[in-house]
Amino acid sequence: MSRNGTSGGTSSATSDKSLRDRFVAWLKMFFAAKILVPFWALLTPVKKLEGGPRPSVQPGDNVQRMMNLIMPLKDKSAIGRAKAALAIAQNKDEIYAGLDNVGTVHFARFVIVDDNICMFSVYDGDFTNYIRDFIVTIGSVFDAVVELVEGGEKVIPSAENVEKFIDWVHDHDAYQVSDVATDILRDQEQANGDAGPGGNDDLRLLPRSLILQLNVNTNVSLGSGYRAYPGYSAAQVRQQFGVGW
Amino acid sequence: MTDPTQAERLVQSIIADFPDNDPKKRPIHTIGIGVKGTFEPSEVAPDYCIAEHFQPRPKDDPVKVTVRFSNGSGSPKQHDGWNDVRGMATRFHLANDGATDLIAMTLGGFFVRSVDEFFDFTNSAHQTPVKPESALCKIIDALSLKVPLPDPPPGQTQSGNAGTLDYANKHRFAQLAIFQAGIIGAPVSYVRAVYHAVHTFFVVGPDGLRRPVRFSWKPVAGVQTTDPTKAPVDDYLQGELRKRLEKWPARMMLMMMIGEAGDVLEDPTVPWPAHRVRVVMGTLSLEEVAADQVADGEKLSFNPWRLVRGIEPSSDPLLKARRDAYEVSRTRRGVTQCPFLPE
Repeated sequence: MSRNGTSGGTSSATSDKSLRDRFVAWLKMFFAAKILVPFWALLTPVKKLEGGPRPSVQPGDNVQRMMNLIMPLKDKSAIGRAKAALAIAQNKDEIYAGLDNVGTVHFARFVIVDDNICMFSVYDGDFTNYIRDFIVTIGSVFDAVVELVEGGEKVIPSAENVEKFIDWVHDHDAYQVSDVATDILRDQEQANGDAGPGGNDDLRLLPRSLILQLNVNTNVSLGSGYRAYPGYSAAQVRQQFGVGW
Repeated sequence: MTDPTQAERLVQSIIADFPDNDPKKRPIHTIGIGVKGTFEPSEVAPDYCIAEHFQPRPKDDPVKVTVRFSNGSGSPKQHDGWNDVRGMATRFHLANDGATDLIAMTLGGFFVRSVDEFFDFTNSAHQTPVKPESALCKIIDALSLKVPLPDPPPGQTQSGNAGTLDYANKHRFAQLAIFQAGIIGAPVSYVRAVYHAVHTFFVVGPDGLRRPVRFSWKPVAGVQTTDPTKAPVDDYLQGELRKRLEKWPARMMLMMMIGEAGDVLEDPTVPWPAHRVRVVMGTLSLEEVAADQVADGEKLSFNPWRLVRGIEPSSDPLLKARRDAYEVSRTRRGVTQCPFLPE
């Protein structure tokens, strides 16, 4: 009896404590998200940093580049998501034909995340040329997918709107947060036209820079892409395996 | 050659931060442990570098190595659990009593690019009294979305952190290394950390091709640091290593990142992009803690310029300065000199 009683009392106290802890944690989160972040975003606004890969300067920068397109579906229901799934499934042959012809893609994946259709790919070469090549080879697949996406109707058919389509894709390409911690500061300074040597920075504000950037840039790619065989193109890999190109 | 007076001043500027430093011990990385082991080059290593330790050898005659793991501080007081850079100095023992060294640390880059900047940095980062931030300041930091200042570990009364941060705020080139150093933590084991040789070297291949490279050691056991929310333990790293090696050798992979035309060669504050080609150059097997810690640890004199045919230093001014600073340190400690390759 006493054992049960003790146990019950402890459980109740633990439960109260747990409830209090959860409430305090919720309060902190609420205060940070709903008051602190909007306050600093208003007081120290940041520019939304551009998506896509950084400029390629050297040969190694020009291979295995990442594209992370996150495109909100018009129809935010299971039916809308099913339409997107169908658009990919119906075009399997076109996609493989495009991959084989373009020859610069390591892999490409279509993923539905909530109400977004996402295309994640790793490719070699210039971003503009990459999209241009795909418009030529599988523009119909892009059109089928983009038609389902908010604002997509303005840039299809892609073959007739090449430059607009490339810009649209670039706008949907996620900002790539570097795995070099201080690059977020450098990117922000560059966006503000500040390329100086410093002198009046506050390194302890690095978390705020990241938070405010994520406040305006909700979809981002993390890290520079973790590669098992960095520095090699898809063509070089296929050649080494003796499978053509 | 660098100015010997400058080398003296470099060592003095480091010692100045550690008033309790023993002149017969290293000015920094004072606490350490010597370990014996072997190095086996990878199959591809000879394709990239003609250096003796990268050539194929019989399985029963591997390259013998001595490694000294260390804590970064120049204080003779051991604080294994403190947030600190760790060192891994490796000596490859070669034929005819030859040797080459590879000196690495857990920080991926340096704070400064030149000797003058180093002096500025040490002037700025001198030790000042330190105490925990007040509760009010912590609240203000949290409201400002700022990194809170970490509480000094028990027993720490002086720290260079305030000056270091001030230097970083004034010099963007220093910010990455200083930020990383601030969060580097303490490894659970000396063999569960990545060690970077930081500077650029050139390796010469059998075809005569010179490639700019940066070396790093990657632990086969994986990377793990201690829980920063728990009180730091002062003395565990050497005991952990002894126990570990009694059971099984610990292994580290030597990785070599190859730079490309246009990559920064002379500035150790700038990391190379992670997507440069990286080559497995070999595996180090650490087998036992050296029985004679004086001969195989404290009296060993490492030098990043102790190189062999096939590996050349870059023109990095800090790498140049380290050659003579290490010599000053060696002389100060009364340790026997090992021969350098002729310049």
